[in-house]
Amino acid sequence: MTEEIVFKTEADMPYLPMSLGTTLVNKTGSWRYIRPLYVDKTPPCNHDCPAGEDIVGYLALIEEGKYKEGWELIMQENPFPGVCGRVCPHPCESECNRRELGGAIAIHTLERFLADHTASQRPSVQASKRYDAKIAIIGSGPAGLACAYHLALRGYPVTVFEALPVVGGMMRVGIPEYRLPREVLEREIADIEALGVEIETNMRLGDNFKLSDLEDYQAIFIAVGLQKSRKLNVPGEDAEGVIPGLELLKRVNLGEEVQVGPSVAVIGGGNTAVDAARSALRLGSDVREPRSNEVTILYRRSREEMPAIAGEIEEALAEGVKIRYLSAPIELLTENGWVMGLKCVKMELGEPDESGRRRPMPIAGSEYALKADTVIPAIGQEADTSFLETGEQRLIEVRRGHIFIDAAGATTRPGIFAGGDVATPFGTVAHAVGSGKRAALAIDKYLRGEELSGFPPIDEAVHAVPKDMDPAIVRFDDLNPAYFEEIERTEQPQRPIEERVSGFEYFGWAQYGEVNLGFNEEEAQAEAERCFNCGTCNLCDTCLIFCPDVAIARLVAPPYPVPLARLNGAGYEVNYDYCKGCGVCAEECPRYAISIEKEIKWKK
Amino acid sequence: MRLALKALGEKTILVIPACCWSIIAGAFPYSSVKVPLMHTAFETGGSAAAGIKAALEVQGDTETTVLTWAGDGGTFDIGLQALSGAVERNEDFIYACYDNEAYMNTGIQRSSATPWGAWTTTTPVQHPKETPKKDIVAIMAAHRIPYTATATVAYPEDLVRKFQKAKGIRGAKFIHILSPCPPGWKMEPAYSIRISRLAVESKVFPLYEVENGEKWTITVWPKREVPVREYVKLQGRFSHLTEEDIEFIQENVDREWERLVARAVQ
Ligand SMILES: Cc1cc2nc3c(=O)[nH]c(=O)nc-3n(C[C@H](O)[C@H](O)[C@H](O)COP(=O)(O)OP(=O)(O)OC[C@H]3O[C@@H](n4cnc5c(N)ncnc54)[C@H](O)[C@@H]3O)c2cc1C
Ligand SMILES: Cc1ncc(C[n+]2csc(CCOP(=O)(O)OP(=O)(O)O)c2C)c(N)n1
Ligand code: SF4
Ligand code: SF4
Ligand code: SF4
Ligand SMILES: [Mg+2]
Repeated sequence: MTEEIVFKTEADMPYLPMSLGTTLVNKTGSWRYIRPLYVDKTPPCNHDCPAGEDIVGYLALIEEGKYKEGWELIMQENPFPGVCGRVCPHPCESECNRRELGGAIAIHTLERFLADHTASQRPSVQASKRYDAKIAIIGSGPAGLACAYHLALRGYPVTVFEALPVVGGMMRVGIPEYRLPREVLEREIADIEALGVEIETNMRLGDNFKLSDLEDYQAIFIAVGLQKSRKLNVPGEDAEGVIPGLELLKRVNLGEEVQVGPSVAVIGGGNTAVDAARSALRLGSDVREPRSNEVTILYRRSREEMPAIAGEIEEALAEGVKIRYLSAPIELLTENGWVMGLKCVKMELGEPDESGRRRPMPIAGSEYALKADTVIPAIGQEADTSFLETGEQRLIEVRRGHIFIDAAGATTRPGIFAGGDVATPFGTVAHAVGSGKRAALAIDKYLRGEELSGFPPIDEAVHAVPKDMDPAIVRFDDLNPAYFEEIERTEQPQRPIEERVSGFEYFGWAQYGEVNLGFNEEEAQAEAERCFNCGTCNLCDTCLIFCPDVAIARLVAPPYPVPLARLNGAGYEVNYDYCKGCGVCAEECPRYAISIEKEIKWKK
Repeated sequence: MRLALKALGEKTILVIPACCWSIIAGAFPYSSVKVPLMHTAFETGGSAAAGIKAALEVQGDTETTVLTWAGDGGTFDIGLQALSGAVERNEDFIYACYDNEAYMNTGIQRSSATPWGAWTTTTPVQHPKETPKKDIVAIMAAHRIPYTATATVAYPEDLVRKFQKAKGIRGAKFIHILSPCPPGWKMEPAYSIRISRLAVESKVFPLYEVENGEKWTITVWPKREVPVREYVKLQGRFSHLTEEDIEFIQENVDREWERLVARAVQ
């Protein structure tokens, strides 16, 4: 039917002018000077996740009701979805294209949903190979554990040495339980141990062993975090009743009895300060005796500069924590060795400093006194690298308080890698996970004798299982707004404030439940459906319907291969014999999953 | 065409008077459609279809749908007499006019479907068209035929539904389809769907249907409303218009829309 019909003589022609074949003989594709191509592109959410998760992929799986597959897709990159879905400041949401039409997708709450919904199931992944080279990891925070996880998945025997009697680093002894319930963390650590990772607690590098004791190990990853609280450097700091924020949180998290007085002053503006303040509020409150204390945060800059997670600051205020901005202590007032109050000075903001934030300057004569029987300094943490012996200090370079690493996470000493808070400036769990993963990939290369090249800069994510997509980032202007309507963002419910602070009675004990309550399935569905699937073909058929030349064919039919969202263009085929290159498909695609390329023949 | 034939099925006979579609359907001896197609003279879209329908009836075939597919020149102008005659006799067929608002096949000459202010080769920018577009739907509705509707490819479900509805009605049916023409409108081919959608959103081309010449129903209420300017500015054929010209078009569009809303059943 597609052959050309040739009439050699008049006798070959039909009596009536009727059609004898189809126009398929006319390959109109030769008219084309641009060519449409199915190419998935990177959505801003994926690009901005420090742990390198395929967010658009798992949102699509949620929509399909494939929760286990969605959770496993996260687990390819990040073994802590339950933790990150709760505590991550979610940079993935800040550039989400949905912002323009009803608010960013609540990605972290959906991540948490996947982790919680699959809580009774365990991952099916196991290492396929076994290597002999042993690896030692120092520190069981998110960086150390993520590194252990990715190495174990690749078949390496890993031992983690942890100074404390408990595992998890700041996830265990820093972040309070009302934000991150113990069982969530324990479940995810158990998944890592299930891969054969050994964790030895009460093993402090520097005290219980030295780096030189680790000669049996072919590679070492140092992820000791920032454990030293910075000092206020004001008189009275050593008085009774002064307890650094990190120490207070650690003691509460280790189940020790901690008492705070009726007026508590917290100094600082970071997560530690806010968590310490909210914890102090709970310590001074009880179901039987609600809200017996007053907690005030003193911060020397203003709200805009406060480095703590914005949502946490709001929750602290809602719970009754007071914040005095532009205030700094100059002396702790004491009596008989006990703290009684603070002498403070008011500040004003001057020129921006090297961090880009405006430098606070004391206002002369603005001193005032504040009553406080408990003072909690929380003005930042520092690395403690005292475990490096004199000779090692020359070999492993420390710059500005951080262990120096290159893009592969390698220190200046071959075979020794570092990551997480001790080596990077980001200070979030997700960044620590990304950093540990980076080192795992690098250690794998190192042990196979490969060059440690090809790693992105330290502030970009690395991927254990790279997804087949163009690195170009899809912005709102690349989408076709005709296909999307404004829909309000779904917010997760929260525990009532009184119950959060005073707790609720449970077998005679006060319980302080988790503040955020997560999505139920219905809410998760509603929220996942709002996602535009930026840059990812979801087989909507729009291109197929509108191609005026009927040049697009669909290659797959339901039930779809898993994950549908990662077909990357394999869902359709353009017949270039007939595509005239009108560009309608690419123009109409709601989510920029079709690219246009110039035909070579037109390039002169 | 693909959507229309999908809606009507294989038991369909096409009638195409001279127009661009005479070429798209294939030059002799080829065809691009899988149903019988009769090419007819420019002015005979209505009468040829009526004849074919009569022949089918003689053979006892009451199932096959006869669909005329004609340009705006062949419908609004030269074919109007044959069309009016056929629908006035309430012949049982569907007449679809794909309206690209000029005689495109012969080189972009103005037709009575060309809108006010538009450039064509016979209405150059020095003398753009000075009269409004003929209201063909009102003319058809005035024949009190069972079904008249407007449609565009930007709203494929609406278009398919209207063809299916027309198929189920005995008597004369008329469907008016706005069809952007990249060279004739001086626009990017990739914008064909976008411009069709803007035509609806700007109310230049509302989507509605008229039953028995009396019951007017708006079938697609635009999700968002946009000024006429957005529709006009993507098309080179309007590029010479001044702000006042566009304002003039806007006023006419608003007035027509209000009239339509007033007569439509809510
Ligand atoms: C109070 C608080 C709240 C926070 N809230 C959030 C939040 O909501 N969201 C968020 O994303 N981030 C938050 N962070 C930051 C986040 O917890 C850290 O960025 C992250 O835990 C860093 O991971 P890491 O593995 O580098 O170090 P860490 O988590 O600090 O882990 C280091 C581990 O190494 C161990 N270690 C230290 N020295 C030695 C040694 N010599 N030998 C053996 N082991 C050693 C430590 O005991 C610890 O277990 C918070 C931090 C704090 C302190
Ligand atoms: C009686 C007659 N006059 C003129 C022509 C030349 N002719 C062929 S197609 C055409 C224009 C058709 O315009 P329209 O109906 O709007 O269809 P379009 O080409 O725009 O699709 C003309 C004038 C003809 N075929 N027959
Ligand atoms: S809409 Fe969906 S795919 Fe797009 S940035 Fe937001 S979460 Fe990512
Ligand atoms: S819509 Fe069809 S003809 Fe046009 S560029 Fe896309 S595939 Fe080619
Ligand atoms: S229009 Fe729909 S089916 Fe076509 S590429 Fe875009 S997302 Fe995929
Ligand atoms: Mg025409």
